[in-house]
Amino acid sequence: MRAFTYLTPSAPTEVVEMLDAHAPDARVIAGGQNLLLGMKDRSDSPAFLVSLGGVSELEGVRAADSGELVIGAATTYATLARMEFTGWHAEIASVCGNLADRPVRTMGTIGGAACAADPRYDIPALVTGVGASLEVLSAQGVRTIEPSDFFLEGGGTSLQPGDLLTAVRFPATEAFTTVVFEKFRQRVFDAALASTVLALRVGDGVIEDLRLTVGATTPRPTVCVTSTAGLIGQPVDAIEPVLVADAAAIEVLGPETSNDPPHLRYQRELIKSVTRRALIRATAIPRS
Amino acid sequence: MQDVTITINGDIVTGTIDERTLLLDFIRDVAGKTGTHNGCLEARCGCCSVEVEGDIVKSCNVLALQVAGRSVTTIEGLSKERLRPVEHVTSQSLAGMYAPLEAMGADVNDLHPVQVAFHQCHALQCGFCTPGMVMVMKNYLEENPEPTRDDVRTAIAGNLCRCTGYQHIVDAGMMAAETMRSQPDNSRPAPARPAHDH
Repeated sequence: MRAFTYLTPSAPTEVVEMLDAHAPDARVIAGGQNLLLGMKDRSDSPAFLVSLGGVSELEGVRAADSGELVIGAATTYATLARMEFTGWHAEIASVCGNLADRPVRTMGTIGGAACAADPRYDIPALVTGVGASLEVLSAQGVRTIEPSDFFLEGGGTSLQPGDLLTAVRFPATEAFTTVVFEKFRQRVFDAALASTVLALRVGDGVIEDLRLTVGATTPRPTVCVTSTAGLIGQPVDAIEPVLVADAAAIEVLGPETSNDPPHLRYQRELIKSVTRRALIRATAIPRS
Repeated sequence: MQDVTITINGDIVTGTIDERTLLLDFIRDVAGKTGTHNGCLEARCGCCSVEVEGDIVKSCNVLALQVAGRSVTTIEGLSKERLRPVEHVTSQSLAGMYAPLEAMGADVNDLHPVQVAFHQCHALQCGFCTPGMVMVMKNYLEENPEPTRDDVRTAIAGNLCRCTGYQHIVDAGMMAAETMRSQPDNSRPAPARPAHDH
């Protein structure tokens, strides 16, 4: 690890001032579970670390007047996993309680995972999948970024030096009847090899909204549009899990060819099976 | 260099440390508590797991500065009565003993239920991973006193053991859970139970 100066601000505005004063050599450290690994092998070597440990404003969960669930960027997975959310928000707690391992969840934060933007992490997929927005503070003020603008097509985020992710705003419980997250990983504590988020709103047995997102196989999560086209307005029973999942695999990874390398064929199979599982789980709930 | 104070097992420890010092290094080198092991240094093996105010962390992936002013419990902090220092037995002779605890002059009542269970179920061979295993198991069982074997396996997913094949560790987790259920005050463990038959 290269030497750095450790700064301990106590308010978000102070964090931004410090980031600006030391740009571009300053990095924010929340839990540090990703950053410290990079610093140890010197793939990351910030000269200044701005700690969020003393910025209590960035921790915790609150409901906005609009019904949105606002989760502070420095809220840990362990805290979220213990939350008793209502409606589909429960899936957020479930995702946070079923990734990495127990000690890592104590330190790792939802904002840290979003900023790391590793496609194999669950948070970028979940955030994209339900269309949560990301609240960013900079010297210019607060701005809210949609996931499609936050996560860049080639990987990474659109955050600039001096930007601080302060919160993730999840849509209200009314936005979806059910949200299902499914993933495949090698060992329990590994990051996903393929993941799927299915967000579904059903009224009177008819699909009012459906968002299918596949994560971990592309540099940023892919929102499937063509494979789910025409489903809105149809009865829930019209969803054919196998057909939609097969179409999703093609939409995410391109059409199958006889020259596909083995890893691509493997990813294709994984996308099909996690998507199929998500569709079956999601459509079973409103039917019953 | 920076002055940092961390309470370790109730003792206030202050050290002048480089900013890069990991919590693991603070515990081992500044506080001198070498029970917490340095395994992989990349948050994979879990040997270095300790509790920070009741929350389990991998101390190799946390800066000492991140927990400045807070209190940490290491494996040494689990036994209320400190074991007598081992002077008269070498590690080699200890390995061959039928009842090493007795040889050390320690009583099973000195130990935390998880430690007792690890001892009785033979949940360790080389013992390198054991400090982390015990800390994670204790932390988990306090949250979920009635786990299934699968729950225990998932809870220790972040801890690697190359000797045991995990069977006896899971046995120990189940036995410790039972003891802790019957004895909610963990500071006074239940008397020794007959060992599992394997």
